[in-house]
Amino acid sequence: MPATPLLSALPIHESRLANGLRLITVVDRAAPLAVVNLWYHVGSKDERPGRTGFAHLFEHLMFQGSENVTKAEHLSLIESIGGNANATTWLDRTNYFATVPAEWVELILWMEADRLGTLLSGLDQANLDNQRDVVKNEKRSSYDNQPYGTAYLELLALAYPKGHPYHHPTIGSMEDLDAAQLEDVRDFFRTWYAPNNCVLTIVGDIDEAAVSAAVERHFGHIDARPSLPAHPDLSLPASLNGEVRKTVYDRVPDPRVHFAFRAPVLADERLEAVGVATQILAGGRGSRLYRRLVREEQLAQDVGLSLLPFVGGASLLVGSATLRPGADAARLEALFIEELERLASGGPTQTEMERARALVESAALAERADPEEIADTIGMYATLLNDPERINRDLALALAVTAAQVQEAAALFAAENRIVLWYLPESTEHTAASAGVA
Amino acid sequence: MSARPGAGSPRPYRFPRVVEQVTAGGLRIVAVSMPQRPLISVQLLLDGGASGEGISDAGTAAMLARLLPEGGDRHDADALVEAAELYGASIGAEAGWDRLSIGASLPASRLSNVLDLIAEIALAPRIPEREVERGKALRLAAIEQANASPRARASEALIASIYDPAAAYGRPLGGTRSSVAALDRAALVRRHEELIAGGAPLLIIAGEFDLTSAFSAAAASPLASLRGTSTATRATTSAPDQPAAAPARGANGAPRLLLLDRPGSVQSELRIGRIGRSRLDPGFHAALVHAEIVGGLFGSRLNRVLREEKGYTYGAAAGFDFRRGRGPFTARTAVETSVTAAALAEARRQVSSPLTHPVSDEELTGARDYLRGTFPLRFGAPSAVSGTVGGLLSLGIALDELDRYRDEVAAVDVAAVTAVASALEQNDERLVVVGDAASVAEPLRAEGFEIEIHAADEV
Repeated sequence: MPATPLLSALPIHESRLANGLRLITVVDRAAPLAVVNLWYHVGSKDERPGRTGFAHLFEHLMFQGSENVTKAEHLSLIESIGGNANATTWLDRTNYFATVPAEWVELILWMEADRLGTLLSGLDQANLDNQRDVVKNEKRSSYDNQPYGTAYLELLALAYPKGHPYHHPTIGSMEDLDAAQLEDVRDFFRTWYAPNNCVLTIVGDIDEAAVSAAVERHFGHIDARPSLPAHPDLSLPASLNGEVRKTVYDRVPDPRVHFAFRAPVLADERLEAVGVATQILAGGRGSRLYRRLVREEQLAQDVGLSLLPFVGGASLLVGSATLRPGADAARLEALFIEELERLASGGPTQTEMERARALVESAALAERADPEEIADTIGMYATLLNDPERINRDLALALAVTAAQVQEAAALFAAENRIVLWYLPESTEHTAASAGVA
Repeated sequence: MSARPGAGSPRPYRFPRVVEQVTAGGLRIVAVSMPQRPLISVQLLLDGGASGEGISDAGTAAMLARLLPEGGDRHDADALVEAAELYGASIGAEAGWDRLSIGASLPASRLSNVLDLIAEIALAPRIPEREVERGKALRLAAIEQANASPRARASEALIASIYDPAAAYGRPLGGTRSSVAALDRAALVRRHEELIAGGAPLLIIAGEFDLTSAFSAAAASPLASLRGTSTATRATTSAPDQPAAAPARGANGAPRLLLLDRPGSVQSELRIGRIGRSRLDPGFHAALVHAEIVGGLFGSRLNRVLREEKGYTYGAAAGFDFRRGRGPFTARTAVETSVTAAALAEARRQVSSPLTHPVSDEELTGARDYLRGTFPLRFGAPSAVSGTVGGLLSLGIALDELDRYRDEVAAVDVAAVTAVASALEQNDERLVVVGDAASVAEPLRAEGFEIEIHAADEV
C-alpha cells in the first residue's frame, strides 16, 4: 500500500526484554510530555464463572499500593508531578496509562514495575473491601441508577450466547463482586500479570536509549510467567442467524430503540468498510440516519451507530435512536432499518464516499496530534494483532475502501443478524403491546 | 528494587506564540502558531451569551447556536454540512454564559473555504421556521431527559436553589419548559442581530498554518467587516447581576435540604453548593489551588475520604465554575442509598475543611505542582488552545496571563487558600439530595438536616 502524502509514518521502535516484556517507543517532540501506556492481555473474557467483574475489580487494586508505594499514593504521586493517570478494563484487555511532564517518565516506569513485580505485598482485606465498595458504586452510578444505563449490558448478553466469554458484562454482577476473595486476587495476579503478557508503549519527548535502559533496569528483574494460560475459545458464527428482540420496561422518559449486529473481528480488514458505512449512516448532521429520522421525519431526538471491535468471535456494531415524544415507535424502528438496508441494496453515493474520506483524513490528523491516542492504538495493535506497525497503515486502509466494499459491509444489517432492544417507560407496560413494538 | 527515581531535566515550555491583526473592516484576528498541528481550529466569538437572559427568554442564545448550522443564505442545512465535510471540516456553534462561538476543525489548506461557510452562518443564517419548531421540540424533550436523570436533576435543582429566580445563572443555559415553549423565530433573529451588533467579535485560529495566508484569508472573508458597534469589549462593562436566593435556614439554624424523591433509587445523588467567584475576582489562582485540594485531585479531601477511606462512592468532586459573573461552587457525588446521611455530613465537613483543618504544606505543594505540571499537557490540541485564548480575551483578560500562570500558581500560599475558603463560607450553603425518600429521609433528619421533600419528577 503506498504511503499517503498526508501523514509520514510514525517512527516505531520495538524491542523485547529477556522476560518477554514488549517495549515500543515513539519519539514525538511536539509537546514536552511523555505518555506511558501498558496493555495487559487479560480482560473480562478471561474471568471464571462466579467471578464476573473480577478483571476490573483487580484493575482498581492495582492503584492500592505495592511494596514501595503506599495505598492511594500511586495517583497522588502522579498528580504531584503534574501528570494524569487512569486505567480501563474491557472484554479483551486491561489498560493502564499516564501522561506526565517528559522529565518524569522514569518515575512512572518505576511505579509500573513496582506494582507488576510486588503488588501482592501491598494487598490486604481492607483494600479489597474498600475497592469492592467503590466498584459496586461505579456499577450503580454508571448502569443501575441511570436511565437506559443497562442497555449495553443487555446487548452483550443478547449478542453472545450464555457461556460465551463476551456474554457477561465487564462490570460484573453484585453477587460475584461480593464473592471475590483475597485468594482470587492473588491467583489472578499470578496468572495474568506477567511481563510476557504486557505491551509497554512510550510516546513523547523522550530519549529512546535512556528510556530503554530504564525499562531494563526496573522491569528486567521481574520473572516471566512460563505458562500463561490460553485465552478462552471465542469462536462464534459470523451471524446471529435469526432476529433477536427484547423489550425492557425501565424508568426512562421516552422510548429508545437499540440495535446490535455481529461484525467482523479486529483483524479482519473488512472492518474498515464497516467504519466507513457507520460514518455515512450516522456520522454527524449530514448522515443518512440523522437527515431522515431527526430532520425530515422528525421521529427521533438523536441517532447513533458505533463499532465495538473485539478480537475473537465477532465484533459488535451497535446503534440507537430515542423517540420524539408523541412520535410513532414502530415507524422509527422501521425507517432506521430501512436506511441500513438501503445502504446494503444501493451502496453509497460517490459524494458520500468523498465526504467520508475527507473526514477520515481529518480524524487521522487529529489522532496524530494526540500522543495518548497514538500510544493506546499501538498498544492495542501490538497486544491483539501482534502488529504495532498497523497504525501506520490505518489511513491508507481506510482511504482504499471502495463504494462496493461499503455496500458489501452493510450486508451485516440483515434481519437475521439483528438485535432489536426497546427501552420503554415502565408506566407504559400495559399499553405497549398496542404500540406495536413489544 | 532500585530507588524511586527523581526528575530528569525539565523541557522548556512556553505557551504557543500569539500574533494579532485587526482587519481594515475592524475584525480582531488572533493567530496561535502550533507546529505539527495541521488539523487547525478556528473560532469566531461573538460577545454576549446567556447571562443576561430573563425568566421569559432563557435559552434564546442556546437555541440560536443550535440553529446557526441549519444553513445560511447560500446553503441549506444539508448542503452546508456536505460542503464542510468535503473539506474535512466539522462546523458547530455553541452558546456560553458570556459568548456565542462558531467553531470548526479543519485541515489548514481549507481555511479560506471554511471561513466562508462560518461567515455565511454568522452573518446570514437562515433560521428556518421549521427548524425552530424542531429545535424547540428537541430542547423540550432534552429537558424531560435531564429531569429523568438523577445526576442532571440534582445539579439543576442545586443551581436553582443557589440563585434568585431573576438570575440567569439559576437556570439551565438551554432554558426552561416555559421559556423554550415561548421562543419564536422573531426572538432568535433579534438575538442574532444584537450579537452581531453587540460587542467586539474575535476570530481565533490555532494550529500549524502559514500566518500571512491565514491573515489574508481572514481579510478576504466577509467576516472582515464584522466589528460590532462598540469599540470596547464587554469586560469593561459590568456583568449582569446574578443575585443569590434569599437566605434559608431551618428553625434552630439547621441546614435546609431539598430532598427530591426518586423511589427505588439504589444511589443518592448529593449536591452541596454556594455562590462562588467571578473569573475576574482577584485570587483566581488561589481559588484553583483551593478547588484541587478540596475536590479536584484524585487525592483531594473529598475523594480521599468518601471514596478511598469510606468506599461510599465511585468518586466525589468539587470546584468553581468561572464566568464573568459569580458562578457557582458545587460539590457532587453519588453514594449508596444506605450511607446517604453519613456521606452528606462527611462531604459538608470536607468541603469546609480548609477552615477547620488548614491545608498542609504537602497538599499545597501537590496541588500547585499538579496545576503547573499539567499546564502544558492541556494545550496539545488546537481546539483547547483556541478555546482558552478565546475565553480569556472575551473576558478582557490579557494573554500574558498564560505566561504568568505557572508563577502565579507557585506563589499561592496557605493564607491565600484559607482566604478563598472563608470568602466562600460567606455565601449561603444549599443542599440537594435525589434519592429514595422512604430510605433516606429519617437518617437525614437524625443527622440534623431540615428537609423539604418533593417528587423528583415534579418540576
